[in-house]
Amino acid sequence: MQDDAMKLAAVLALSLSTIAWAPGAAAQGARIPADAVDAFHAALRNKDTAGALSLLDRGLVVYEFGAVDPTVEAYAFRHLPFDMDLAVATRWQLESRRVGGEGNERWVLSTYRVTGKQSDGTPIDQTTLETVILRRTGELFRIVHFHRSTSDAAFQARAQGQRSQGPAR
Amino acid sequence: MRFATACIFALGTALAHAGHDDVKVDPALRRLPGMIAALGEPDAEGRIYSFYGKPIGPAGTPAAYVPGELRGWRLTLLAGKRFASVFEVKSNSESEIIVTGLDGPLNGIAERDVFIVEEIAIAR
Repeated sequence: MQDDAMKLAAVLALSLSTIAWAPGAAAQGARIPADAVDAFHAALRNKDTAGALSLLDRGLVVYEFGAVDPTVEAYAFRHLPFDMDLAVATRWQLESRRVGGEGNERWVLSTYRVTGKQSDGTPIDQTTLETVILRRTGELFRIVHFHRSTSDAAFQARAQGQRSQGPAR
Repeated sequence: MRFATACIFALGTALAHAGHDDVKVDPALRRLPGMIAALGEPDAEGRIYSFYGKPIGPAGTPAAYVPGELRGWRLTLLAGKRFASVFEVKSNSESEIIVTGLDGPLNGIAERDVFIVEEIAIAR
């Protein structure tokens, strides 16, 4: 009886995740919140647009370097391309991480040392602060909010300017 | 909701340059965001493998696609029921994009859905 209930719960959880992600979408997420955050960064670095999107909750709101993306679609269109470009052009070394929350709502706080070069050779070397809130649907956590900023005022200003221009090409 | 999303996209692309020295990194790949203008004709089984669309984005975005240029590019839906779905472009004209059948039909897409085509092969 208990086994049947467990199987039913597993089937329901699987069904919910199938409903949330249409056929053809790379249905992802992670059982551990920090893994979802790391997978999102990895997807950007690997130029995997759908992989990155699949780690985002459909209720996503992004605060990033002074800009706001009020929907997951707005982030996907306006800023994900630049985040991918930046992820490919730089190295993000995790320096600290704290996790918390309970139940289906969790948070992951990370700081990264970001190094690399701009197109003109100007070095990038700054610390990025990242707050990520995750929501669990079924068995998997996805990112429902993230907020990034940096302690480097000049980089913050430059990034803010970049983010006002729409998608990169 | 779809109209609101389109407005957000339009606003986002219309925002003025903030005037800062921007962070400029090399593009990781060539890409063209776009919006679906109309669906293609379904086949006898009702499956859709094409749509009409146009590039959208900041100043300098081309008004139309270069015929044949997108062959082999990866197409990802950024909105709508097929959000995050991925397809391989089979061919294109100035406004029509046809996908291969390798990733299934496009059914579920709708006018004003936003997508992006990127010059990279789908990892299979």
